[in-house]
Amino acid sequence: MLRMQPFEVHLPETVAEACKLRSELADSLFVAGGTDLLPNIKHGLFTPKHLISLSHIDGFDGISVVDGAIRIGAGTSLDVVANSTDVPPGLAKAASLVAGPQHRKMGTLGGNVMLDTRCLFYNQSTQWREALGYCLKAEGTFCHVIGSDKRCVAAHSADTVPVLLALDAAVEFVGPEGEGAVNMRQLYRQEGRDPVQLDDRTLLTAIVLPPLPAGHVSTYRKVRTRAAIDFPQLGIGLAGAIVDGVVTELSAVASALMPQPKVLKGMDAAVGKPLDEAMIEHLAERCFKQVRPQRSLHGDPAWRRHMARVEMRRGLEELVEASQ
Amino acid sequence: MKELRTLSINGEDRELAIPHHWTLLEVLRYEAQLTGSKQGCDKGDCGACTVLLDGEPVLSCCTLAMQAVGREVRTIEGIANGVTPAAIQQAFDVTGALQCGFCQPGMIMSAAALLEKNDDPSIPEIQEALSGNLCRCTGYTKIYEAVQLAAKGLKQPVERVTGTPTEGFTVIGSRARKLDAIGKATGATQYADDIQLPGMLHGKILRSPHAHARIRSIDTSAAEAMKGVKAVMVGAELPTSFGVIPWTPDEHALCIDKVRYIGDGVAAVAAVDEETANRAIAAIEVDYELLEPVLDPRAALEEGAPLVHDEDWKGRPRKTNLCKKVELSFGEVDAALESAAAKVSGTWRYSGSTHAPIEPHCAIGRWEPDGRLTVWSATQVSHYLHRELAKVLDVPETKIRVIQPALGGAFGGKSEPFDLEFCVAVLAKKAGRPVKILYTREEVFYAHRGRHPMEFDFTIAADAEGNITAVENDIVLDGGSYHSFGLVTTYYAGQLLPGPIRFGSYRYRSRRAYTTKPACGPKRGHGSVQPRFPLETAIDELAEQLGMDPIAIRRVNGMVDGEETITGMKAETCGILQCLDSVEAASGWLEKHGKLPDGRGVGVATSMYISGTNYPIYPNKMPQSSVVLRGDRSGTLTIFAGTNDIGQGSDSMLAIVVAEETGVPMDDIIVVSADTDLTPVDLGAYSSRITLMAGTAAKEAGGKLRKRMVEAVAAQWEVPTEQVGVRPGEYYDTDEPEKVLPVREVLWLTESASGTLAEHGGYWTKDRGGDYRGGTIGASPAYSATAHVAEVSVDENTGKVTLHNIWAAHDCGRALNRTLVEGQIEGSVYMGASEALTEDMTYRDDGLHFGPNLLDYRILTSLDTPLLEADIVETVDPAGPYGAKEAGEGPLHPAIPAIANAIFDAVGVRLREMPFTPERVLAAIQAKHAAE
Ligand SMILES: Cc1cc2nc3c(=O)[nH]c(=O)nc-3n(C[C@H](O)[C@H](O)[C@H](O)COP(=O)(O)OP(=O)(O)OC[C@H]3O[C@@H](n4cnc5c(N)ncnc54)[C@H](O)[C@@H]3O)c2cc1C
Ligand code: SF4
Ligand code: FES
Ligand code: FES
Repeated sequence: MLRMQPFEVHLPETVAEACKLRSELADSLFVAGGTDLLPNIKHGLFTPKHLISLSHIDGFDGISVVDGAIRIGAGTSLDVVANSTDVPPGLAKAASLVAGPQHRKMGTLGGNVMLDTRCLFYNQSTQWREALGYCLKAEGTFCHVIGSDKRCVAAHSADTVPVLLALDAAVEFVGPEGEGAVNMRQLYRQEGRDPVQLDDRTLLTAIVLPPLPAGHVSTYRKVRTRAAIDFPQLGIGLAGAIVDGVVTELSAVASALMPQPKVLKGMDAAVGKPLDEAMIEHLAERCFKQVRPQRSLHGDPAWRRHMARVEMRRGLEELVEASQ
Repeated sequence: MKELRTLSINGEDRELAIPHHWTLLEVLRYEAQLTGSKQGCDKGDCGACTVLLDGEPVLSCCTLAMQAVGREVRTIEGIANGVTPAAIQQAFDVTGALQCGFCQPGMIMSAAALLEKNDDPSIPEIQEALSGNLCRCTGYTKIYEAVQLAAKGLKQPVERVTGTPTEGFTVIGSRARKLDAIGKATGATQYADDIQLPGMLHGKILRSPHAHARIRSIDTSAAEAMKGVKAVMVGAELPTSFGVIPWTPDEHALCIDKVRYIGDGVAAVAAVDEETANRAIAAIEVDYELLEPVLDPRAALEEGAPLVHDEDWKGRPRKTNLCKKVELSFGEVDAALESAAAKVSGTWRYSGSTHAPIEPHCAIGRWEPDGRLTVWSATQVSHYLHRELAKVLDVPETKIRVIQPALGGAFGGKSEPFDLEFCVAVLAKKAGRPVKILYTREEVFYAHRGRHPMEFDFTIAADAEGNITAVENDIVLDGGSYHSFGLVTTYYAGQLLPGPIRFGSYRYRSRRAYTTKPACGPKRGHGSVQPRFPLETAIDELAEQLGMDPIAIRRVNGMVDGEETITGMKAETCGILQCLDSVEAASGWLEKHGKLPDGRGVGVATSMYISGTNYPIYPNKMPQSSVVLRGDRSGTLTIFAGTNDIGQGSDSMLAIVVAEETGVPMDDIIVVSADTDLTPVDLGAYSSRITLMAGTAAKEAGGKLRKRMVEAVAAQWEVPTEQVGVRPGEYYDTDEPEKVLPVREVLWLTESASGTLAEHGGYWTKDRGGDYRGGTIGASPAYSATAHVAEVSVDENTGKVTLHNIWAAHDCGRALNRTLVEGQIEGSVYMGASEALTEDMTYRDDGLHFGPNLLDYRILTSLDTPLLEADIVETVDPAGPYGAKEAGEGPLHPAIPAIANAIFDAVGVRLREMPFTPERVLAAIQAKHAAE
């Protein structure tokens, strides 16, 4: 079996306690559902001395709606998000497409937002990586994807995040400096080794969505080989509003490309206009032009890029359908 | 750190010493001794470890045990009502939803959670709920049935014999439950890793990080000095080479002077626990001299290519990487090609795939105080393992006992000895304590022995009526690092092709190359699945050229009863025409082929496969299968047989045969199998031989006992023996059917009249096959036949192929148990479809496997697998027991070409490379548009 190296587990019952432990204990990490972190520890990618479990924190999960703003506790399971009628349809759909049923029961929305970037050359066992000669992201000096010794381009692979960014979501957190919040569009950086722009010791407490506009529509399109379990080879989140057949807002975010999810430019071309065939084609083309899939994930990059056009088109068609 | 904590498991508070860094699965299995929950990948990819946490299905391999503190854990052991299995467990048993059973504890927990919320789930809802639980055996179809049956509120225990026996029989042809099913459905069955022996140590094998290198030196001193390390070994300690084929023993238990693939074993340790063993192998220093990897089989065959093996097993220097070549010709190929009305030729490529049983290989070795060695191993060939252990360890066979515990899937992947079996023996001897080695999923990929990648230069010709007049095939097999069954594979790739489609003439050359990758070997449909891809897709092209319907052209060429293939293999019965009729009708072919809307299509393909081989792996005149049957006054019969039940149900098959013969109900028949101390020799579970061979042996033994039982009753009743009838549970007077004697009393009478209730039976190979060198290879007592129709849709914008159905009709001679035969058909179809659509063993150019795990190597989930339709065709072959022949491998073959042909019908592109990924399909569609 893949045995983990020894560590101590802590089961704090409050956010404050969890943050305190994280700050005090060197070599500690948070673990929520564990579906991302434990396989990574088994692969020797992390060697923490302490794991601070978030599973026993009271009130860490749950969805509430106050004045139209939706607040989702970081500990809310993906399964609950997927089946919630309080969250926008695109987010529910994205959550429902993560991994398999058991992962969604275990995995949390906070864990998904904080998911480590992924790469075929990295998410492998210690023995495998030794045979490879390691890579820049862990123990090595060289990136096997782009040949660089400076940059890791491991792919952002969390399914809910493109939609969350399209929805203009923010995260609330408690860090070493206290409580804070940040718009998710500012959360990620283009560096696969350290993709989240927060102090490592920061605990995410909630994901917050602004009130949905009139005529809200949203969806998520995912490319993967099998209809379950597989991580995305491409993900596109779409959110906006269509009133009387006219687009009033539109935002699209693509992922499973680079460390940072890509907020697609030029989507406002649709604002004030109907999403007719020509407009859909135009936006799909804009999407295609902006995405550059890498060899960090399986599947031919050229095909995945082609899929960006197809999936963008299909996503937009879903929005039109939802608005009718 | 370890902490004493209370876990609530199955409603009971258990105080357990929990190591903080252990997962819930580790604590359940190794601390709480609840081994029902299984481990198949250990990192969230397979679902075998699913348990309920506060009622929700979770993966216990990705849950920290500490996180379960204060929550309700429920495992497969905790859902029964006392000793009565839960409805869902009974439903899995009754419907035949489990074969090897290894995925089942997890599957059943997911199903139980679904039923808790939804008492009437639809098929799509079941597919969704079970989509995180991989099953490699069943094709999921019977699992859907089981969940729906459980939902209907199955409350009564179900009779063991269900379904209607075939006319003229009392058990044969029924749907009798599998003997081992309920044990597996309840988590009670012990697989190799479930065995914990007192004082047992854990072994680990250090594996090469290089694809090709010379070992200069190995320094084990640091490992030996580590606390908790009890034994260390290196390859030089076992200098005798072995190989499952006695003519080609090119492997050593551990490498001695050279490593030949990334993952090749170099040294091994045994320590007090697995973690210490892991640290110990990491402390072993190996000095390697790197050599150039050899990855492309064609390049490997060129002169001057670096040699994978410098010498053969006799120490003679090798000149090339050619490990086997076969060249054979039958009939006038050139003349036939010349006069052909239609011809197709080109290059096809078949990709490599692996078995991926959900259970990883595991073995335990223990030396008894009297100097005897016992090895428990997840093997499908205990007899060959027994022989090779004796040879390599230099211990007499009389001093070795091999036991195969319940096996969690094999498919050919456990059909030869592996390094762990030798290592547990040596390490246990050195340490003086039992040693277990359990492969990681990654090691299972390295052990491999899966489907050979093959490249074909293939030509086929037909006359104007569609008769196949000539086939020519030049085949290159990528063999990987060792011979394995390669000698046979090289033949099979050519020998087994000409049937059930008749060839007018045939010529092939088949060359297997050594490369520095994990060794290829026999995967379900050994050697003969691959060439059916060019053959069956090219036949469709011929049909197109000739303006014929694809089923019609196959009818023209379909073999009939008693016909011999051009390679000299005689099929006493061949039901291919019936199979074609069946799938044509069931699929609605005539309304569909060429008539479905754009993007949707149907395709057909056929195959034929052996039911065992006439030629045993090592030449001998002893029976290939033997069965010993004994009874006692309790009314119990016990069958002793060396057969390996790998989930396919061979134990149940033996019981069915003996029940049919003797009238003793299956409930009172016990099967002891695959234990070399207790059971007579059987060669093992490979080449689909057990039903025909061991079934015949069991029939003989049962028949002998029946004769004695009938005589005893006849004497008692003072009637002629012809007047004594046998039915389940009793003997009766055929003239006076109310006059009966319970079978137990019949056994008493028999023992009184003619002594000890003991009989035996055997199966000897008949000498058959072509009269030429190699003509015995592929010669089998009987050949099955299969036809598939696949229906797919292809998304023209993405290239994505969606499988809607496969109708499979299979001629198994006679179904001894309809449920088991359907299960073999469905499982085969699934496995074929999975390799057609997604599976691919790919390697980097340094020889590193690109993703040796169940996340990167994608086997289809329930959501990717439609309900499969299996139809049984019976032709009653004189060679098999009651007419039975094989059902476990033949039905895989047609899936790949049938899907390829369906893709053509849908979007008009011909694929000659696998798997049919969206990338490949889209590229073909785009190339077609560009050409138009
Ligand atoms: C076989 C398999 C398939 C998968 N497929 C998919 C897929 O298709 N799509 C997908 O998106 N994911 C997939 N996953 C990954 C994973 O299941 C999900 O992303 C899940 O949402 C992770 O949540 P978690 O709670 O389990 O995270 P954890 O593993 O507990 O944590 C993940 C990371 O986030 C950090 N973290 C967690 N919670 C917090 C918090 N509140 N504050 C700060 N840091 C935190 C942890 O320290 C860790 O670094 C897959 C996993 C497996 C094993
Ligand atoms: S992108 Fe490069 S550096 Fe980053 S994980 Fe992959 S191989 Fe390593
Ligand atoms: S063993 Fe847990 S998912 Fe495979
Ligand atoms: S029965 Fe499912 S894996 Fe064997």
